[in-house]
Amino acid sequence: MTDSQEKKVGIISCSGEECVEGTISRVATRLVLGKLRPDQTVTICLPLFLAGGREEREFARDYLTITVDGCDKMCAKIATERYSGKPASSILVTDITKNSQCPKLSSRRKLNDETLTIARKIADKIAEEVDKVLKH
Amino acid sequence: MNMNTSGQKKVIVIPCSGIGKAFGSISRDATYEVTENLRRDTTQTICLALLVSGDKKSLQLVRNNKCITVDGCPLQCAEKNVKLAGGNLADSLRVVDAYKENRQLKPRSVTFLDPDGQQMALALAGKIAKKVDDLLEEH
Amino acid sequence: MSEYFQTVFDKFELRVRKGFYYTKDDLWVSVENGKVRVGVSDYLQKTSGDVAFIEIAKPGSTVEKGREFGTIESAKTTVALLSPVSGKVDETNGELAGKPELVNSDPYGKGWLVVITARNFEDDRTSMLSDEDYYKLMLEKLQSERGKLESR
Repeated sequence: MTDSQEKKVGIISCSGEECVEGTISRVATRLVLGKLRPDQTVTICLPLFLAGGREEREFARDYLTITVDGCDKMCAKIATERYSGKPASSILVTDITKNSQCPKLSSRRKLNDETLTIARKIADKIAEEVDKVLKH
Repeated sequence: MNMNTSGQKKVIVIPCSGIGKAFGSISRDATYEVTENLRRDTTQTICLALLVSGDKKSLQLVRNNKCITVDGCPLQCAEKNVKLAGGNLADSLRVVDAYKENRQLKPRSVTFLDPDGQQMALALAGKIAKKVDDLLEEH
Repeated sequence: MSEYFQTVFDKFELRVRKGFYYTKDDLWVSVENGKVRVGVSDYLQKTSGDVAFIEIAKPGSTVEKGREFGTIESAKTTVALLSPVSGKVDETNGELAGKPELVNSDPYGKGWLVVITARNFEDDRTSMLSDEDYYKLMLEKLQSERGKLESR
């Protein structure tokens, strides 16, 4: 294993079609992958992971993971624990948004300025967790 | 089949929402276009992951109603997971089928759909809506 | 012993089938009963994305080494396929018309593209890479082209 491969974290986001927090979770994860920590992160596709995707499950088993869930059903965390192992860190979007008046009627399809700001906050939080888990 | 408040039947549309490819985002957006716009009274969507985590309400929904899955790639995770959950899979669509009919569209962006991605989602949504109509006619 | 050289990059497993020749453009070449069977490498199929359209020179066509004999197209990119040999196309993979995804799911097996009768294989072979040399080239490409594997 190369040094660069060792310093990688898998981020597993819920797919969250039913609520805006699911979309926030997804967008935040993509922001981390594409902008905030592109060299340190890999995204694990949850539907593929659930369907038995070998690459996804092996990565999640062999490397540190961070799960990001939109609601307290915690699908990403539960799936990771079931099929690969306990994540190094778990983020619940509603834990972070509960103090900042998450807009109840916001579109789950397209984030507006408010929900995009929340997604960016979540992305920053995920990036912090990436740095923390890689330090240990 | 599930009934909405006016007593009309519903079809459950389930996208893969694959996070790694533009087609995954398109599957999601096309589903929203159908469930929130084109066929808002006769369709709904659910989180695919809830089926695998054993959520009782979601499992009941897919077993008691006709389902259409929308997959972003040939791995067909939505179709597989709905089948594994014992869902009543009536039809399965793939984003690539919309792409084959709209070859000029080259969606690149995954996080936020670019104009080509939005157009492909609309084209796919039209196909899904037609399938919904066909399924509802069968009853 | 494994049939492949393999490595893991991010979460992606990439394989190079042993016993084949390769071109710098990521095609594999297998010699069978005096003819050559050609396909795309695991690296090329992964970086190209999900293949939706394939166009290949028809049986009976003449192909020239280094010149385009076909294309594979995904929503992500269109890749020109450059012939590794000069000769005549014997056979194309008829399954790919209905199932282009075979190129992605089984690039070294059912996803083969074309069989060619080469005019002078020994001459053409001199510019091909061994399996091990292609594996090294692939590792170099992974470092410099990693963005192609996953959309960021």
